[in-house]
Amino acid sequence: MHKDQTLGEYLRLQGVSRRGFLKYCSATASLMALPPSAAGLVADALAAARRPSVIWLSFQECTGCTESLTRSHAPTVESLIFDAISLDYHHTLQAASGHGAEDARLTAMEENAGKYVLVVDGSIPIGNPAFSTIAGISNLDMLKETAANAAAIVAVGTCAAFGGIPHANPNPTGAVSVSEIIKDKPIINVSGCPPIPVVITGVLAHYLTFGTIPELDALGRPAAFFGQNIHDRCYRRPFYERGQFAETFDDEGARKGWCLYKLGCKGPTTYNACATLKWNEGTSFPIQSGHGCIGCSEPDFWDKGGFYNALSVGNWGNRDALLGAAAAGAALGVGSAIAARARKKKAQAAEEV
Amino acid sequence: MSSLDAISVNVEAETGNVRPLLHEIRHALKRLANGEDGTVIDLRRLPLAPGEEERLDALLGKGEVHAEVDALGPTGVQETLYPGVWLITHCNAEGTTVARFIEVTRVPELLMSQQEDIDAGIRRLEKELEN
Amino acid sequence: MTLLEFASGPGLQWALWIFVFGVVWRLIGALFLLSRKDLTKPREYNSVAAGVGAIISRSAPAHAFEKSIRFQHVTGYAWHFALFISVLFFAPHILFFESVLGFSWPHLPNTIILVTAAVAVAVLIALLIRRATHPVQRFISNADDYISIFVVLISLITGILAFAHVGARYETLLAIHLLSVEVMLIWFPFGKLMHAIMTMPARYQAGTAFGRRGIKA
Repeated sequence: MHKDQTLGEYLRLQGVSRRGFLKYCSATASLMALPPSAAGLVADALAAARRPSVIWLSFQECTGCTESLTRSHAPTVESLIFDAISLDYHHTLQAASGHGAEDARLTAMEENAGKYVLVVDGSIPIGNPAFSTIAGISNLDMLKETAANAAAIVAVGTCAAFGGIPHANPNPTGAVSVSEIIKDKPIINVSGCPPIPVVITGVLAHYLTFGTIPELDALGRPAAFFGQNIHDRCYRRPFYERGQFAETFDDEGARKGWCLYKLGCKGPTTYNACATLKWNEGTSFPIQSGHGCIGCSEPDFWDKGGFYNALSVGNWGNRDALLGAAAAGAALGVGSAIAARARKKKAQAAEEV
Repeated sequence: MSSLDAISVNVEAETGNVRPLLHEIRHALKRLANGEDGTVIDLRRLPLAPGEEERLDALLGKGEVHAEVDALGPTGVQETLYPGVWLITHCNAEGTTVARFIEVTRVPELLMSQQEDIDAGIRRLEKELEN
Repeated sequence: MTLLEFASGPGLQWALWIFVFGVVWRLIGALFLLSRKDLTKPREYNSVAAGVGAIISRSAPAHAFEKSIRFQHVTGYAWHFALFISVLFFAPHILFFESVLGFSWPHLPNTIILVTAAVAVAVLIALLIRRATHPVQRFISNADDYISIFVVLISLITGILAFAHVGARYETLLAIHLLSVEVMLIWFPFGKLMHAIMTMPARYQAGTAFGRRGIKA
């Protein structure tokens, strides 16, 4: 497909009928959390959309985000988004390697200056930039160089959005998120460990269709997908209200599908679309499979006090410290009582004299 | 796998969204009957507990019309037991469901032949007749 | 560090330390202040029965005052029951207590807790208004009284708001609730909230001391 072709022309040449295109637009509108009535809008916008260049940089990551994305689709709908974009650089998916690959990146940056979308997964180590390099270039330098002429940056996965697992205590590599390095470009954080695949493609579809970034929440995440917390959309919520909790992973409550609050579910403080969109094309999500939410789309979720400690337990330390405080209190109590008696005795003695 | 099957799991969960959804369909049908526009409901947008979507499908049932559309993968268009209420299931080429809609309309737009396709068809027919 | 991280981490830690330190200090201090030797001649009595008897008998108004203080009597009990049920039988609270104490107990459904918490807030506000407007109450009330009521009231109100997700994002509401409780825990050992710890031992001590002298306390 030529860069000058619109997506509509491209699809027609591929043999996709108008009917097929409408099906594609309905599914894409649904993907972008738009109301079904927006399908027509999407159709008009997509038909006239140009094919943006996308450069995907993978830094200090586990490749789970790319795996999640590539597992999610098959021919049609989601993969069409990738046909529609020009993925000019991606470590896992590209055939080129070595200098050829780096040249492809630099060429794409030059030819599409100011217009390409930069997708980043993985955190960036700044403790010592040499901890993670590609073609001898540190992640830090490559990010700064590639972001300079990007139209927008999509930070895919909790690592790129908030630092993720490398950022967890004690953060030996000095890992940071994209937004801690790049301050002058619009950044969309698509967090999650990994993010729900349709959320990733939904954000790309939004950019493809409207040429703008979607509405973001306070943490820079698309509000359409991260605007509600899991607790408010969880189908097990009635059990929470009635006080029916699973106490262990194999008791009666667990088998009946009761609320997992006591087993450490972080649903109330986690914002993501897992409870509605679910995973594996709507098959299930962690809570439905019987495990509490671990809060993987939130910053520092690894250090929030343990996946199996209930939210209300907090992160306050241990009982030994309290026993120490009690001992100190007892000592002060006895000491002050003895001192008070001594004063009393002294006063009595003074009076008797 | 047999040891896994031996773990009895008996999920009682319910979001309670099935009845309100049926009410929404009822209101949409009334509007349609009055000559107003149709309504589309995206089933992906609503939290539904395991089993509730199946219950909804069973309640809506199968009506007189079933159509299979083959465009970018199969799409099933089923009129339910309630005329005017259509269940549309979009699948990709591997047969995985990518979207589900309930359309309250006289006939879903997807079933109607589209203008661009008709124009393209006319050009092909004219070419065929030239030969 | 976010507000919630602080409130559920160091904030809670320090509040618990100060609470335990302060309560143990005052309780042990008070117990050690008692005279070791009672020089009176002991009558025929059972000290434990006398002590427990005083706890029970002083849990209701003296017969002569019953009618005139019925309002305080009823609202006092209503307030305390509503408070205890809301604090001690709400499942997330029990999980917290379990992490501190090492044991837990059964919980009640959330809707019951919501009702008792609302009753607790309503009764407390009514009693606060009475304290501020009744001439005698106003005369004898000091800052300690008002601070003690205030810290408990904000803990209850913020708890209800967090539970109902009303007013702000849930993490913010939860953080504010935790911070209110932390303020209460820090104030607890130094004000009239200590009556929660001292009342029963004080009655017991009065009961045994009087019982030794042949008087029913």
